[in-house]
Amino acid sequence: MADSTANVQDTIARPGKEGLRARFRRYRELRLTEEELATVLLTPVLLFLLGLSFYPILDTVWASLHTGYVIELPGQQREFVGLENYRQVLFPIGETRFWNAFGVSLFYTFVSVPVELVFGLGLALLLQKEFKYKYVAQAAILFPWALPTVINAKVWAWMLHPDYGVISDILVRLGILAQPFPFLSKPDIALYTMTGITIWKTTSFMALILLAGLSSIPDQLYEAARIDGASRWRQFRDITLPLLKPTLLVALIFRTLPAFQAFGLPFGLTGGGPGEATSTLVLYAQQAAYNNPGPTNGGFAIGSAAATLITLLALVIALIYVTTLYEPEVR
Amino acid sequence: MSVRDLTLEDIAFWEVGKRLGYFGSILAIVFVSMFPVLWILISSLKPSGELFVFPIEYLPYTISFDGGISVVQQYPLTLENYRTALAQRPVGQYLLNSFIVASGTAILDLVLGALAGYSLSRLQFRYKLPVLLLILFTALLPFISRLIPLYSLAIQLNGTAVSGFLGLNTYLGLILPYAAFQLPFAVWIFQAYFKELPDSLEEAGLMDGLSRIGVLFRIILPVSMPAMATAAIIVFIYAWNEFLFALTFMTQDSKRTITVGIALFGNQFSTPWGTITAAVFLSLIPLLLFMFFFQQKIVEGMTSGVGKA
Repeated sequence: MADSTANVQDTIARPGKEGLRARFRRYRELRLTEEELATVLLTPVLLFLLGLSFYPILDTVWASLHTGYVIELPGQQREFVGLENYRQVLFPIGETRFWNAFGVSLFYTFVSVPVELVFGLGLALLLQKEFKYKYVAQAAILFPWALPTVINAKVWAWMLHPDYGVISDILVRLGILAQPFPFLSKPDIALYTMTGITIWKTTSFMALILLAGLSSIPDQLYEAARIDGASRWRQFRDITLPLLKPTLLVALIFRTLPAFQAFGLPFGLTGGGPGEATSTLVLYAQQAAYNNPGPTNGGFAIGSAAATLITLLALVIALIYVTTLYEPEVR
Repeated sequence: MSVRDLTLEDIAFWEVGKRLGYFGSILAIVFVSMFPVLWILISSLKPSGELFVFPIEYLPYTISFDGGISVVQQYPLTLENYRTALAQRPVGQYLLNSFIVASGTAILDLVLGALAGYSLSRLQFRYKLPVLLLILFTALLPFISRLIPLYSLAIQLNGTAVSGFLGLNTYLGLILPYAAFQLPFAVWIFQAYFKELPDSLEEAGLMDGLSRIGVLFRIILPVSMPAMATAAIIVFIYAWNEFLFALTFMTQDSKRTITVGIALFGNQFSTPWGTITAAVFLSLIPLLLFMFFFQQKIVEGMTSGVGKA
């Protein structure tokens, strides 16, 4: 018993008070202070993130300020060009692809996310109730979320086929359309269609996160409100919504940032077309980087500049959300 | 009509209506969610000529009322599209590749996420909050901004001693970046779960002479199966669905994941919808099974972990 107490003492012991030899003995016996143990456990994690998340970001920024060679062959040095690549992205002569993509991404993100939020909240309220075979319904409703984006794009490209699409067929049968409608090849409609598809796909994910938030609201609050004679709507407005705020922040950030980085859906659905009507920022950056061959691989520099701009925009969006919605520990 | 005027029948009628409305809307949502899958299945079983008719014939058989009721065949069901799809492209290999990459990513993130989550929830040390924020911050960084440097790194590894297992067209070449991108979520799930465990659990272990590491592996981790399942499922689904990096890093057909394989079906001149729908449906089978087995875990995990942010 005395031994185990000593053990606890050792585990909690702070370094500095002990001699070097004692400390090595402690290490050999794998008895570490909390701080040492945290260092041992966190170092691999942080190195991993340093190598695969922070280094690439910094390298992208660096590459965006230089001429672009993927591999430096002898005689091909990367040259510092200042903000030249940014100028080529933002103010190229005779085209506005970046600004078009910026507009497309903004529309796509800030139309789809609020709509998903409203639908998702409704769905979450529906799914709060318990019923028989709920697991089957839940699995089916969650399915669109688990569907890979680019495969989803192919599925909808087929369902919205300009001549033989099933959506056209249903609408014709219902008498809403007279003939098949080219949902994806009309420049002024394609973006709406794409936004609708993403709403279909991710509403259930929104519902899932909000369901989590709803279940953490104590039932007593609703009971108390009922006893006080509060209507359903009052309960929703004065209990559900305020207590759901932290979850809303999580849901908004988890949906907005991926939507802002949409790539698979435009790639598989329209390839960014017709023209540039559905070209999102990431699709633009990817095409700028990889569809620009040539002796200098100039695309990688332009692509890096575009990627850096996307990073800055994403951080601005996150910052706006956190500053407007974050409340430090209300409960 | 005031409440007092309502008869028992009225109330019963109202209740039935409410239930019908409720289950009706649930059924409608289920139908809207699953219709695309159903449509892909129907399309994939049609003979090639049947795909391109309008108005569409939905079911292979229909009931005709001309001269008495009879069942009329609209089109024969065929597995032709599946045969073509499997002959043209290694769909099975794509699925296997996706499975290896997604499982590898999940395992790596479970290990790293549990270590970091434990440190950040149950140990006291300096810079705890900055380290947590640093890890979570990486979740905000767009994937595209990490693509080009990692791609050129992978190209530079080509032909070196490690190119057999690291770099372009290798599983680890995708697993490592995926794991790094999803690690913040795994860390978050674990630290949220560990934080809720009672202190007495750990103290008992320490009293019994276990070291902190012993406590982590013998006591904390065994009771953390729910957190592990949630983290594993979320990371697995992400890795299974990822497209941008898979498209860039897997240039050999035999190494492609299912998302890239399907996206690159066909060529610029024609889109073979029959074979595509067959390949798509094949790719959906594992996902459908996965969802029906794990949806409870997904919902539970989200409800206990991520939501309590």
